[in-house]
Amino acid sequence: MNNRFFIKFAAGNIKKNGNSYIPYILICMFTAAMFYIVKSLSLNPGLETMIGADTLNYILHLGSIVIALFALVFLLYANSFLIKRRKKEFGVLNILGMEKRHLAKTLAWEMFYVFIISLLGGIVLGVVLDKVMFLLIVKIIGGEILLGFFIAPETMITTIILFVAIFMLIYLSSVYQIHMENPVELLQGSNLGEKTPKINWLIGILGILFVGGGYLISLITEKPIFKAAPYFFCAVILVVVGTYMLFTASSILLLRILQEQKSYYYKTKHFISISNMLYRMKQNAVGLANICILSTMVLVMISSTSSLVLGMDDIIETQYPNDFDLYFDGLDWKHNEKAYDYIHQIQQEQKLNITAETYYTYLLVSAINGKSGFLPVPADTVTGESNEVNFIFVTLDDYNQTMHTDKFLNVGEILVYPSRKDFAYKTLNIFDKSYMVKEILNKTIGNGIIAESEADSYLIVVSDREEMYSLYESQKKEFGDAASNICSFYGFDTDKNGGEQEELYNLFIDAFARQEYQGIVESKADAKANQIGAYGGFFFIGAFLGILFTMAMVLIIYYKQISEGYDDRGRFAIMQKIGMSRKEVKSSINAQVRTIFFLPVIVAGIHVAAAFPMISKMLLKLNLRNTSLFIKNTIICYLVFTILYFIIYHLTAKTYYKIVNKGGIYMP
Amino acid sequence: MIILETKSLQKIYTTRFGGNRVRALSNVSFSVEQGEYVAIMGESGSGKTTLLNILAAFDKPTSGKVYLDGRNIGEVKENEISVFRRDNLGFVFQEFNLLDTFNLQDNIFLPLVLSGKKYKEMNERLQPIARRLGIAKILTKYPYEVSGGQKQRAAVARALITNPKLLLADEPTGALDSHSTDDLLKIFNAVNQDGQTILMVTHSTKAASHASRVLFIKDGEVFHQIYRGSNTNEQMYQKISDTLTLLATGGDYNE
Repeated sequence: MNNRFFIKFAAGNIKKNGNSYIPYILICMFTAAMFYIVKSLSLNPGLETMIGADTLNYILHLGSIVIALFALVFLLYANSFLIKRRKKEFGVLNILGMEKRHLAKTLAWEMFYVFIISLLGGIVLGVVLDKVMFLLIVKIIGGEILLGFFIAPETMITTIILFVAIFMLIYLSSVYQIHMENPVELLQGSNLGEKTPKINWLIGILGILFVGGGYLISLITEKPIFKAAPYFFCAVILVVVGTYMLFTASSILLLRILQEQKSYYYKTKHFISISNMLYRMKQNAVGLANICILSTMVLVMISSTSSLVLGMDDIIETQYPNDFDLYFDGLDWKHNEKAYDYIHQIQQEQKLNITAETYYTYLLVSAINGKSGFLPVPADTVTGESNEVNFIFVTLDDYNQTMHTDKFLNVGEILVYPSRKDFAYKTLNIFDKSYMVKEILNKTIGNGIIAESEADSYLIVVSDREEMYSLYESQKKEFGDAASNICSFYGFDTDKNGGEQEELYNLFIDAFARQEYQGIVESKADAKANQIGAYGGFFFIGAFLGILFTMAMVLIIYYKQISEGYDDRGRFAIMQKIGMSRKEVKSSINAQVRTIFFLPVIVAGIHVAAAFPMISKMLLKLNLRNTSLFIKNTIICYLVFTILYFIIYHLTAKTYYKIVNKGGIYMP
Repeated sequence: MIILETKSLQKIYTTRFGGNRVRALSNVSFSVEQGEYVAIMGESGSGKTTLLNILAAFDKPTSGKVYLDGRNIGEVKENEISVFRRDNLGFVFQEFNLLDTFNLQDNIFLPLVLSGKKYKEMNERLQPIARRLGIAKILTKYPYEVSGGQKQRAAVARALITNPKLLLADEPTGALDSHSTDDLLKIFNAVNQDGQTILMVTHSTKAASHASRVLFIKDGEVFHQIYRGSNTNEQMYQKISDTLTLLATGGDYNE
């Protein structure tokens, strides 16, 4: 037999087995597209310009590895249905005189076709989806997005390499299965099925350990996400692998227990559904674990993204305490007061109605939180390391005046407001000074600098100006020109609307620059417009991946129903012959759905809860400090998702019913 | 008392494009007494399977009627047909039709579970039948773990456990070796002696020779029948062979 024969024969086989091959090819295509999209997003040059680019970049890289792992398991799973159904055909060919190596060759060509079609299709689909989603989401956000549409040739190569590897593995596993059986076994192949599985305690325990280990890492790791990369990577991989193990072991255990309950088991609905599920539980468990993992990814994406969007106002409020925020960074008090007076002058010229205002003076000192306490460093050397902190010193007078309080401090005492991490010390030792912490505050003076910084910040209230000045002197002595100045903050609100505010903003900037005052002028209205652009990128990625994973999930559930439908067809035909009505078929299918239905969604919920500390840490870095908003939002996302899942499952159960019923006996 | 009666059954299949009409049954009338053991023989294409499908209510006749225990099964409503079948008929198939997803016991329980019986009652019914069919010790095994003969005995147990009015067997020995065939035919004789009415469709002269009456079908009609009377199995075998020879050579056999 020459190669020409195999090339033609294999093509014919694919056509002939269209109803198994077409869904399979679609699945392969979509998986390839999914990998391509996530991987190319991580290389998108627009990413560099976004806030938290390195975090995002890291998440996308991690995401692409998880998808690669997922693709391997999922395609192997899908292939197992395919091979099972084709064993009979191979058995006949084997008996008719085709040797096993000829079968292997045929299979190789078939795989080759599937590989070419699904990879080309997948990459094209990936590029097209990328573009369509991009346009769609830009429309939804209605703003500029820093991420452009982008074609990544190197990602195409990565995708090809990954899929060559996956297809090789699939091919080897198929050939192994065919090789291990004699023609008679092959002939019975699709009927023979797997034996009813035994409970595997080892896998179950390993699964629990893996998932638990993953959870533990997420719960205890303190470092910011991009610094703790290896840990989080481990956590995700552990949870993914553990989920597969746990599902395999626990679903068999659950069904075995149900089977032991005689009065439960011997009910029409349960009887058939439990035995059916138990019979192909190994496959079924992988299918459920696939759904669970995708559900988790969807939930994480959607809940964190939507929290970010909803929290955007919240973020703006923390970073921009007033409509206009001016930071005077003159050489000393006098300079700053001059600038302050000048701004007042403009306010009067413009006849502005000031509805609220805040003015105070502060000193920013950065430090490294080392073993031997806080070691001050020049502010411009701060790089975003996790052990860096910012201290913002203000005087008691300013604090009391701004916050309308009447706190009292002796010399050497301080008040501390921790912005993110608790301040767990009784004293603050800095430079050659030591301060007693008198009280931990729960309210702070608005300061965008604190909010904006990636490092943890503490507001420190000192007793008086002299104290602040001596701190300034100490750091001047140590850092020289790199020392930070005593600055002033002036924030005020007006009764102007957004557009007018932006005009005023330009006016202030010009005035500030003309007078050569040092400092920063910020406007909430202007920032809002900018933020939408910056966070829009996050929203884009979140929405994009959320939709993508949801599509994948629908496809997987659909595939599961189709392949199981063809598997169960013969069995339902027999049951109908013995006297099972269509109604009973339907209700037993529904029972099958119900028994196992909630499992992936419940486990996905637990996964999301365990990932919560990790995600909230990430969101904290993006200044989403409103954890309660995030919790509420995650719960809402979860409920919506559950409903969606329920609908998808019921729609696809109909497909299953149709397939099963077609195999039934003729009924007038 | 007549348990099953068919009156001028006719079944015409129309091909897909409506052109050709194939007459599978042209005029079949016969009746089966309570406690009888009837075998139906005929060549491939003679209409045996069509007849069985109609008797089992899998299919409807083009014209004619089937009465089971006095009830016209053509009038059983569509949504009751499954229950009707489950309560009145027991089936034994050539390919056993056991489900790999169940062990033998659960396979046998299946029709009872469908009828909503309690486990205790099912188990009480199962024990005597299982002992009688010699499968009591293998009840927890799965179909793929036992031999063909054992599978068929489990299938018989599944058919009998509902105490059906009529046991329908479609080539029950077709997939069995001679030893298992003998076992199964002995079982059929034994349950028949206990009063179970059996209707068996078969190719096998040997299987048919155990029946109390053999009907021959040719070209969609009942062509001939042989009553056992006082004949032994061997004599029945001879008579059936003769008739089959006549059928095959196409001689104008007149009764």
